[in-house]
Amino acid sequence: MICFDNVSVTYRGGVKALRNLDLTIDDGEFVVIVGLSGAGKSTLLRALNGLVPATEGSITVDGVEVVGASAATLRQVRSNIGMIFQTFNLVNRTTVLNNVLMGRLSAVPSWRSTFGLWPAQEREKAMQSLERVGIVEKAYVRASDLSGGQQQRVGIARALAQEPTVMLADEPVAALDPVTSRQVMGDLQRINQDLGITTLINLHFLDLAREYGQRLIGLREGQLVFDGDIADVTDETFQEIYGRSIADTDLLAMEPVE
Amino acid sequence: MTVPESGRPTRPRLKLRTFLTAGLVLLFTIYSGRQVGFTISTFWEVWSNPLWEKFWPVPWEWVFDRSNVIDPLIETFQIAIISTLIGCGLALPLSFIISPLTTPNKPTYLVAKGIMNVVRAVPDLFWAKLLVTAVGIGAFAGSWALSIFSLAVMVKLFSETVDSADPRPLEAARAAGGRHTPAVRTGVLPTVFPSYVAYSLYVFELNIRASIVLGLVGAGGIGRVVEAQRQYFRFDRVLGILLIIFVIVIVIEQISVALRKRLV
Amino acid sequence: MPVAAPPRPRTAGRNWLIAFIFMAGAVWSITGLDVTLARLLGAPADAWNILHRMFPPAFNEVYQRGVVGKVFESVYIAWIGTLIGAVVSLPLAFLAATNVSPRWIRTPIRQIFNAVRAVPELILAVILIPITGLGPWAGALAIGIHSVGTLGKWACEAIENSDHGPVEAVEACGGVWVSGMRWGVLPQVMPVITSYWLFRFEINVRASAVLGMIGAGGVGAELVSQLVFRNFPAVGAVLAITVAVVLSIDALSAFVRRRIITGGGPTKNRNQEATADLTGLKH
Repeated sequence: MICFDNVSVTYRGGVKALRNLDLTIDDGEFVVIVGLSGAGKSTLLRALNGLVPATEGSITVDGVEVVGASAATLRQVRSNIGMIFQTFNLVNRTTVLNNVLMGRLSAVPSWRSTFGLWPAQEREKAMQSLERVGIVEKAYVRASDLSGGQQQRVGIARALAQEPTVMLADEPVAALDPVTSRQVMGDLQRINQDLGITTLINLHFLDLAREYGQRLIGLREGQLVFDGDIADVTDETFQEIYGRSIADTDLLAMEPVE
Repeated sequence: MTVPESGRPTRPRLKLRTFLTAGLVLLFTIYSGRQVGFTISTFWEVWSNPLWEKFWPVPWEWVFDRSNVIDPLIETFQIAIISTLIGCGLALPLSFIISPLTTPNKPTYLVAKGIMNVVRAVPDLFWAKLLVTAVGIGAFAGSWALSIFSLAVMVKLFSETVDSADPRPLEAARAAGGRHTPAVRTGVLPTVFPSYVAYSLYVFELNIRASIVLGLVGAGGIGRVVEAQRQYFRFDRVLGILLIIFVIVIVIEQISVALRKRLV
Repeated sequence: MPVAAPPRPRTAGRNWLIAFIFMAGAVWSITGLDVTLARLLGAPADAWNILHRMFPPAFNEVYQRGVVGKVFESVYIAWIGTLIGAVVSLPLAFLAATNVSPRWIRTPIRQIFNAVRAVPELILAVILIPITGLGPWAGALAIGIHSVGTLGKWACEAIENSDHGPVEAVEACGGVWVSGMRWGVLPQVMPVITSYWLFRFEINVRASAVLGMIGAGGVGAELVSQLVFRNFPAVGAVLAITVAVVLSIDALSAFVRRRIITGGGPTKNRNQEATADLTGLKH
């Protein structure tokens, strides 16, 4: 279970990215977070796994306090939280399998991972992750040789290899075309349903949010302005969250075709 | 790569070629080490050698005495300036000849390229020593040697810029009926000129350092003083000179970097 | 209606000033060095005097004296020196990078790089020879120490220019700092850094030939002794062999560097980037 209690994040330079955020997320939920750029979506996810330190308040993940935690505790917490990124963040010059194995970093001693001496059982887990996202035949292909959608699936496999309880996705489909975006969203949905992993996804495509989300959270200027079931969401809801009417660029289906 | 039932690919074997290359490099390294007399203990021996004491304290009055250090330093500086001027000056037309984009004709290009390759392959101080033998000891030989060195370095660097310059203005100049040299002058030169000046400053930096050591082979400048003091075993003076040189080089480098930033 | 021409821009004055400074510097240097026209004109004749006496080069005599072995000794010296420089500079470069280390570690290391770079190898050898004695080891050590400076600075820049994304991914997986460097940064920068090492090796071969001239091993001593005896055909032979070996190494190294860099993208841009980096003109 994830708990945000009166959390504020202020960056150096005075920018208040999150203000007094209160949020509780139960295990197994599939949550979609929307909001304009700069509303605090990225900050919310990164505060959760401590990549961005919260300035005030408390964040607990499965009972462990993240704010002000020691480096060792943070690593422990992070090993249970998988994260996928808009720009995939893969290691381009090495194989897909090596990328996925990075999910097992916390499970092996540093010297082993530094020299690439992964034990057989970790390799097995990595392979299984690749199978789950349906891309195992590319295991020994160089990461940069894959398409965008395939790279993102590798990113998902890497996160899955951690055997996480929570999955964070920061705009996972922003760099992908509509068809691939739907594939990736479908994968995330399936993983949530099959494995019961709590999932938080940042999206800026509102139609995708409505199509796949179960619970919707809306952020505006660092504050929580909407938190409810997807069934209760209408166009007006989005307009309130955004503070303006919906534009074509907010919808995936209306993306200009090149 | 066969794909077994489960759909998993088999692990690719490490290429034989990779193994061979790595093995060769390792063998070469060990052999080189033997030839050079490299053992781990030499590091410690160097570190703990009592001779280091002879480097301290530095006799500052001697160092700052005009005739001992300042004058030779000025000479060093002048050598660097002249060499840069001559070398970079000549490099401008030569780089255009070396570049396939702007070369007047094929034979000239090949000959020029061949000569430049050979010139660059000769270590800079070999030139200096040759010239010292030819024209006698002193700054003159040093300037010549460094000019050749500057020419070689500058041509290499600058011709690569010319290579990658936009060919379209040149085409336009030629299409308007211009002959070769004026076409290059108006079509390519303005684009590459800032790089030319920036590279020249860089070469000047290199020449300052190179002219310092010229004296070690008798070609003028502060190097001669260093060599002389070394032969008298006055290492404390040597250290003093080195410290001064060090400061000057750093200062010039900072100025050069600042100037170059404003150009490019 | 005809439009009046705009007034001449101010910068024209500044350009004249810069040109004047150049001319002044040139004049000062020329008079200071006593470079008269007579000497200038006489120089090529003097040089030609020697040059034509180098032909035909005395290859046989030189081969007898084991000059080829000496040239190879210069290569070994350069190899070991470059290796020392590479091995020492790589971890230091990580510690010196802005996106990696806190300031109190970074700054001293960057200063060490600068200090070591500013001292030419020849001067280093001059200092080292009384301590290590004459011979190839002095040369290798001098080259090694100096290379730590240049290689360190270049590696540091490569690390600073690398993409932070993969490092973030490692952190998000719960990895430690070393893993972040090993998997996030290293794969990105190794091709460029290895290519720098090879480029430095090319330069160091020339440097080690020069170091021989003051007794630090290699072919330089041969050149000096032949010149002293004014045995110009032998000098020619020594030069020819040196040039041949240097050119071969340059070609081999350029080939390997191209292969390394193109492991990831279109050749031309990468080489240009690499060259720009090497001359430090990127910023």
